[in-house]
Amino acid sequence: MSSSVLICDDSNLARKQVLRSLPESLSSTAQLATNGEEALELLSQQNFDLLFLDLTMPVVDGIGVLEGIKAAELSVNVFVISADVQPEMQSKVMQLGAKAFLRKPVQKELLHHHLNEYGLL
Amino acid sequence: MNQLILTADQQDCLQELINVAMGQASDQLARYLDTFVHLKVPSIEQVSSEHLSQSLHQEEQAVAVVSQGFFGYEGIRGEALLVYQPKDSDRLADLLGYEPDELSVEEQIIDLSSILTTTFLNVFASQIDNQMSYSAPRLLASSQSSISEHIEQQQFTWDAALKVKITYQVTDYSFNCDMILLIPSAAIINITTVIDRILEAF
Repeated sequence: MSSSVLICDDSNLARKQVLRSLPESLSSTAQLATNGEEALELLSQQNFDLLFLDLTMPVVDGIGVLEGIKAAELSVNVFVISADVQPEMQSKVMQLGAKAFLRKPVQKELLHHHLNEYGLL
Repeated sequence: MNQLILTADQQDCLQELINVAMGQASDQLARYLDTFVHLKVPSIEQVSSEHLSQSLHQEEQAVAVVSQGFFGYEGIRGEALLVYQPKDSDRLADLLGYEPDELSVEEQIIDLSSILTTTFLNVFASQIDNQMSYSAPRLLASSQSSISEHIEQQQFTWDAALKVKITYQVTDYSFNCDMILLIPSAAIINITTVIDRILEAF
């Protein structure tokens, strides 16, 4: 069975950029969230294998989502895709349990490399 | 054409291009300051040419403005203004951690502005397949009239002003400034065309 994917970003373009970078097997069933609150709600309702997460968002930001996932002990793999590329932010999200940090705009090859690394391709 | 009239999709695309550019500008700033910068989503608004001088005049206090020209291909050119309110410019020395005698406040403002402007525009340009060069940044005298005069006396005719409100939280306090990009209609047409190309690709 293919992996289930959730993409969380407040930008429509950024969500599409991630969708377009995914292989058909993952993109065809991917679900979308426009802020962290929506993502946490979806994560509480169903199991996802993979979450692509933006950091700078209204309502609940990416850090809030990572903390929520940790608090609820959810087992989703989180790939952070962010414009905020400060080294401190990268180490912060990795400490909060993210599997990878990718800078925006997302590069397809790099994304696939990380998907391969976790056997998600 | 006096305005950059964008559809909701175009606006979303421009916002994302600016978010990415601002993220990298913040990273440069953070490295320069050797600290962590808390980043907010930058807000974008357009100011019409008639209202720009007026909106600067409305500020009762004097402001510090650093002006820097930028030049790319295909009619992309303009002037970037970084506008600081006094409470923010006064804090620059603390923020930058300079010793009192090391650099004048004026030099500090120019340093910081040039980092923000050039990093922001380099990243923005690379996303729209362009490349920028820059003139030397200048700090304008803080009187309202000299700033208005500067805006009116640009070497090129600018038709739109795009205002990007920048808010950074640095350690214990927040720091604000506005980046105003004055651009001619050729640049507006070019940016809109590139945005449409990006949108078509998705």
